Amino acid sequence: MKVTRASALQLGLVSCHACHLLSRKPKASTHGVACCPRCGEELHQRKPNSLMRTWALVLAAIIFYIPANVLPMTITSALGTVQADTIMSGVIYFMQHGSWEIALVIFTASVFVPFLKFVILIYLLLSIHFKSIKRPKDRTRLYRFTEAIGRWSMLDIYVVTILVALVKLGFLADIEAGPAALYFALVVVTTMIAAESFDPRLIWDVVEEKHE
Amino acid sequence: MSEENSEMKRAEQAPEALVQTKRSFSIIWVVPIIALLIGGWLTFKAMTEKGPVITITFETAEGLEAGKTKIKFKDVEVGKVTEIALNEDQSGVVVTAEMTKDSKRYLTEKTTFWVVRATVAAGKVSGLGTLLSGAYIGVNPSAEGDKTKHFKGLEKPPLITAGMPGRHFVLQSKELGSLDRGSPVYYRGIKVGQVVDYNFDHDRDGVDIKFFIGAPFHKKVLENSRFWNASGVDLKMDATGIKLDTQSLVSIMLGGIAFDLPTYMEPGKEAEQDRVFSLFKDRASIEEKTYTFKQHYMLYFDQNVRGLSPGAPVELKGLRIGEVVDVNLEVNQETHTVRIPVLIVVEPERVDVLVTEEGVMTDKEEIQEEVEESRADLKYDLAEQVEKGMRAQLKTGNLLTGQLYIDIDFYPDAPKAKVEFAGEYPILPTLPKPFEQITESVARILKKVEKIPFDKIGKDLQVAVEALTGTLNEIKTMSGSINDETVPRINASLDKLEDTLEGIKSTLGPDSAINYNARQVTTELALAIRSIRSLLEYLERDPQALILGKEGDKK
Repeated sequence: MKVTRASALQLGLVSCHACHLLSRKPKASTHGVACCPRCGEELHQRKPNSLMRTWALVLAAIIFYIPANVLPMTITSALGTVQADTIMSGVIYFMQHGSWEIALVIFTASVFVPFLKFVILIYLLLSIHFKSIKRPKDRTRLYRFTEAIGRWSMLDIYVVTILVALVKLGFLADIEAGPAALYFALVVVTTMIAAESFDPRLIWDVVEEKHE
Repeated sequence: MSEENSEMKRAEQAPEALVQTKRSFSIIWVVPIIALLIGGWLTFKAMTEKGPVITITFETAEGLEAGKTKIKFKDVEVGKVTEIALNEDQSGVVVTAEMTKDSKRYLTEKTTFWVVRATVAAGKVSGLGTLLSGAYIGVNPSAEGDKTKHFKGLEKPPLITAGMPGRHFVLQSKELGSLDRGSPVYYRGIKVGQVVDYNFDHDRDGVDIKFFIGAPFHKKVLENSRFWNASGVDLKMDATGIKLDTQSLVSIMLGGIAFDLPTYMEPGKEAEQDRVFSLFKDRASIEEKTYTFKQHYMLYFDQNVRGLSPGAPVELKGLRIGEVVDVNLEVNQETHTVRIPVLIVVEPERVDVLVTEEGVMTDKEEIQEEVEESRADLKYDLAEQVEKGMRAQLKTGNLLTGQLYIDIDFYPDAPKAKVEFAGEYPILPTLPKPFEQITESVARILKKVEKIPFDKIGKDLQVAVEALTGTLNEIKTMSGSINDETVPRINASLDKLEDTLEGIKSTLGPDSAINYNARQVTTELALAIRSIRSLLEYLERDPQALILGKEGDKK
């Protein structure tokens, strides 16, 4: 397969992150940094330190993922009975009470999706690391998917915050956010930033390198 | 140019600088490091805060739920039930619980666990909060004793938790009565404590009642304090009559214990923790002095002892000196006679003043000595007393209930008897009871009546009756003549009487002349009275008319 189009990299052009203006890359400038002639944004050929940042954030997210699942998400007190629920215990609760649809939604949004994101991001990172040229299109699609679903994991946090705000019936019923809510929010935020800091063009760089 | 070239060559000869990618430490790694630190801290916290895991066995897991039921001390959560399982032989449940780290040093043998459930009983409603929140496990921590992780849960919650100021004491009683765990203890009508527990003492064959007196009343429990059963209504019927005693309405329903000093006693020292007291049966009995020296005597009665029961008083001249211990029945196979041995106990110390050769003794110690001595002299003394006529006698204490008591008194006229020292106890001679004496007297009278010659009297009576019949016959003939002669005459007289009355009637009847005249006279009399009245009225108005005559006449 012959690549007929030349990439901006090959032509020595740089695209601005902010306004997407194509400009010529300055030659081996030793002092100062290249800036966009139109908007003044710093210019980079690729996202700087993309791989390392993504790795760091993915690792941080995985670490946060543990307390997010082990610690209680909500602390419900109804008629004097205080009950602390983790994400999984909530899922199991809904499953046992027949609301498997809700259980599925919670499980997907709160457990499965963050986990899927780790897997995808690590796969992408590893594929670039080992200069894989297999199915670059699919990998790009995976990346877009990861970026798209990232924000939906926040659903759980929204539900918890809404419940905490709504259910304030004193002794009758009261819901408080558990420590897991914080860690879960951190997981979502770090994975989102990780996905953001990953540069999908790197997938193609490798492919093009191999073809030359 | 050549110079330039040579310079260039020289420059080319210099080694080329290496272009290396700068291995700078990216700030982004701070994020996972922070994450690691947080994760590590959380793990460390979880590890260090993880308390010991203990097991508690209960009879039933009613109200307990794994993962939800909490272990609380003073309503502070100190643990959580993690697992509930049946024990091996299925006779109970084993509750596995995770305790907090701080509770570690309180997990000793003396620490007790129990399940707190809602209780609604007479006089007490507790644990209502558990109706909504579910049962929880209460704990009474104790730092004393050996460490353990396996506990046997109490089936009933203890009433006193650790750290309550006060003291525990023990009461020895023959029976529990209406007392129960939680029964109140009163001091002068104020509830100052409660029964915590009770055990059966196999050695003593009685009940040990453990109770707790809260501060500051525990200082009121003295060495010589006396406790009595204030349970319910104490209705007593004995030789002294009917007696009703109650402490309070609550104690009527639940029973209770009260304590105080006997009125004659000086306050002693404060009682130590776990001091053992004995339980008196009622308020009155605490006032009774306790006597250490007791002398048993045996009495034999031949007559009916119905109404004599153990505990009946033994009185000397109306004062209690002891009580009946036992009443039995003995049958003599040879003579086929029945007699009733009654064992009594006499407390000689009750007799306060002893008369000796020197005179009246007042010092108690001296009396004590005398009592000791008298023990030796008992044989002699007793024989002498009996010689003087000392006898025991059954007497009716209460005519209504028929309760009997033993009365010891001196009967100088009593038939001679001697005290026997043959058996286990000295045997005192007895006299039949007074009622018995009455029946005996009646019997004696009857015997005399028997001696009356009824047949002779009967014969005489027959003669008399015959004479009486003759007399009656004479009366009969006499009444015959009355019928024939006297009655017609009486009739004639009556006829005459009738005529006379008729005459009187005609003279005085409504149409008679006398009657008419009388009417006439009364009319005249009425007129006369009227005129007199008018005259009087006139005179009242004009008294001068008496002298001056009527005014109208003057005109």
